[in-house]
Amino acid sequence: MPLIMNGLTPIHWAVGGAGIAAVTLTLLFVGNRRLGVSTGFEDLCALVLDQPYFRRPSLRAGSGWRLPLLAGMVLGGVLSAVLGGGWEPTWALGTFDTMIGWGPAGKVAWMFVGGLLIGFGTRLAGGCTSGHGIFGLSNLELPSLIATVSFMAAGVVFTNLLYRVIL
Amino acid sequence: MLLLYLVLGTIFGFVLSRSGAADYDYIQGMFLFEQFQLYGIIGTAVVIGAPGLWLIKRYGRTATGQPIEIEAKPRHRGNIYGGMLFGVGWSITGMCPGPILVNIGEGKLYALAALAGALVGAGVFGAAYPRLARPLGLPPLQRGTGDG
Repeated sequence: MPLIMNGLTPIHWAVGGAGIAAVTLTLLFVGNRRLGVSTGFEDLCALVLDQPYFRRPSLRAGSGWRLPLLAGMVLGGVLSAVLGGGWEPTWALGTFDTMIGWGPAGKVAWMFVGGLLIGFGTRLAGGCTSGHGIFGLSNLELPSLIATVSFMAAGVVFTNLLYRVIL
Repeated sequence: MLLLYLVLGTIFGFVLSRSGAADYDYIQGMFLFEQFQLYGIIGTAVVIGAPGLWLIKRYGRTATGQPIEIEAKPRHRGNIYGGMLFGVGWSITGMCPGPILVNIGEGKLYALAALAGALVGAGVFGAAYPRLARPLGLPPLQRGTGDG
């Protein structure tokens, strides 16, 4: 199955997994940091919000490395497109277009609602796919196993509900 | 050091972009059990990551000789409830937090709406933390639910 981006053929899963492991281990061995992306949302919130939660020192201490990591991830997406057939703005959304077919306004609403659940949910869970699913599981942490099983199960239920029951 | 994190983020983002981890169809294929790709990616990352982490912790020092200091994430009911909310959000958008950023970089315009939602969601969570902490058994505010 081709990627939505420029119809590229994806790299082998073993190469992708090894690349992610290399980033995780380098981040720890060189930077002394545990991989995690969703706390970066809090760093971005802390730029404008002043509640005690966003002023806690443990959060402020990490923004100096998490914000450049997040910026790099955007840059990685840009590079991937530029080197893989060219960068151009798009609304293309694969199966969503063929099965649901909403235009830009509908997609913005759909994505915003999904984003709300991602932002609130990952921070309530204490991590996301990277912090719990990759680092936490690799470090054999029980809370990460619980969170990973929870988000995988909920995703399986919702996607199956949407594409096999409702549609 | 800032450059290190920028470069690591760029490699991470590039790999997510090209492996299908930031692709709506591959995420739905994972949740429908029709595509092995994402299970292979996460599985490989953990199978290599676990012994690598063990070795680094056993060595006990970073490349520059500092002691390894990583805090384990606390266990609380938010692991389950938050995980479930996030799982639904992942299914709806086809993106977890990293791929939201990657998709923005790729030029997928709807990913900006997902980021806006995620920032509002995280903002509401942080503002509501003092009220959520007791009923959900969360750690003290200064600690938070866990970094990452």
